[in-house]
Amino acid sequence: MKIFVLLFMVTTAINVDAQTGKIPEGFTSIFNGKNLKGWHISRSTHQGTTPNFYVENGVVIANENPYGQGGLLMTDKQYKNFELYIEVKIDSFANGGIFLRSNEGGAAYQVELVLPGATGDFIGERIQLSKGAKATDRQKVWKANDWNSFRIRMVGDTPHVTLWINDVQMWDVTETKNDMIAQATEGMIALQCHWTALYSPAAGNGMPLSSWQPGATHRYRNIAIKKLN
Amino acid sequence: MMRNIYRYTALILFFESCILFSNAQSIDKENTNAQDSVFTNSIGMKFIFIQPGSMIVGKFQPTVYKTSQSSDSVYRVALEMAKHDAMPGFEVIIKQPYYIGQFEVTQGQWEKIMGTNPSFFKGDKVKDDAGQHPVENVSWNDARQFIKKLNEVEKAAYRLPSEFEWEYAARAGAKDDISWNDIRKTAVIATTTTSIIGKKQPKALGLYDMLGNVWEWVQDYYNEKIFADPVPPKKGKEHVLKGASFYGDVKNATYMTHAAGPASKYDVGFRVVMEIK
Repeated sequence: MKIFVLLFMVTTAINVDAQTGKIPEGFTSIFNGKNLKGWHISRSTHQGTTPNFYVENGVVIANENPYGQGGLLMTDKQYKNFELYIEVKIDSFANGGIFLRSNEGGAAYQVELVLPGATGDFIGERIQLSKGAKATDRQKVWKANDWNSFRIRMVGDTPHVTLWINDVQMWDVTETKNDMIAQATEGMIALQCHWTALYSPAAGNGMPLSSWQPGATHRYRNIAIKKLN
Repeated sequence: MMRNIYRYTALILFFESCILFSNAQSIDKENTNAQDSVFTNSIGMKFIFIQPGSMIVGKFQPTVYKTSQSSDSVYRVALEMAKHDAMPGFEVIIKQPYYIGQFEVTQGQWEKIMGTNPSFFKGDKVKDDAGQHPVENVSWNDARQFIKKLNEVEKAAYRLPSEFEWEYAARAGAKDDISWNDIRKTAVIATTTTSIIGKKQPKALGLYDMLGNVWEWVQDYYNEKIFADPVPPKKGKEHVLKGASFYGDVKNATYMTHAAGPASKYDVGFRVVMEIK
């Protein structure tokens, strides 16, 4: 009996991060918990073209590969008006983000994921946002070293975007114009693993180690979407 | 005495003829290799002559940038990881000389050959002469169709550059990576549209926009690795892209970047190589 209890405890410990399958009503899962079907790696982003995104115990894990080279994991499909639900667990000193309406090269609207720092802020990646937003109350709802849920609503050619973290609204903003390159009104959802190293010191210093500390990971699970009109 | 004069005269004539023959040989050699450094074809595409030579491709010496936020122990781990993943690269020998486009193929040149203009950044999408912007929104096969028609018009041997021909021309003899300062001087990056060709400083050989403006298709299939292999794959899902685009970053607007399609379509064009027969 003791052995069974011990086995149960070990199994529970191993699967503590596993995908729970719990997504909000009306949403459709876009991550099957087994592999990265429906997703692809960007081969033209400056973050890096060979990141190590893989699935383990129902969780998408992001790592640099090789040393200092990040990258983007992108949905194959493009989305215009939608609500995205995603649960994230992020190590400190690892800069990532949830990209919205991204193009293949990783120019996008972004909800930042970085600790310590501006997690939850609405910023641009390779684009300048006309307004943007700050998640000033994020600390009040944040669960340190644990899973946190993000729900992001994005609608309109000139995007109106709302963020909830752990079901608490952080901000609600309407940009003053469509900030995307080529005035695109749809794009991919992408998960970012930031780069730190240049190919050679001849180019420059690169990014500080705190941009993605060695061995750091970002984890994602229960990723789901609800298309809106 | 007279016999000696004849002997000396014969010797002098022999040496002179040797000198003349030697000069004639060097002139012939010069004539054989003589190529104009710039060539312009009938639709105004300019090309720069590239001499054979060699370079090291794929040398990976990842930087480790320590700031006050990171501890010594983290720094040591990073150094170890960087050392473990470093790669020496490999030598590539360019055996044949070739001409490479001084500029990216423009919308105007595309229209002259194809009669259409597939580009996104034209009309009211740009504030200046779109005809002088690089053509974009072209697939690898579209680029090949353009080149096929160009060859029919020009009766010449145009083609896409190989990745190594592209990188060799872009490096212009540089043995190491390009600095951020030089990238900013030569590349159209961190902006929102394509730019008229040749607005930034040229690279050492007189080539413009090798970095930035639009990604450029090359012949090779993509190997799904950070850098090229010594021999490119015979098959693949995508083709290699070089040089980054107008919204690129100093991180990837370097001649070392080995990217691949499809990119975002409005950020992809090409330049052309002319073979020397």
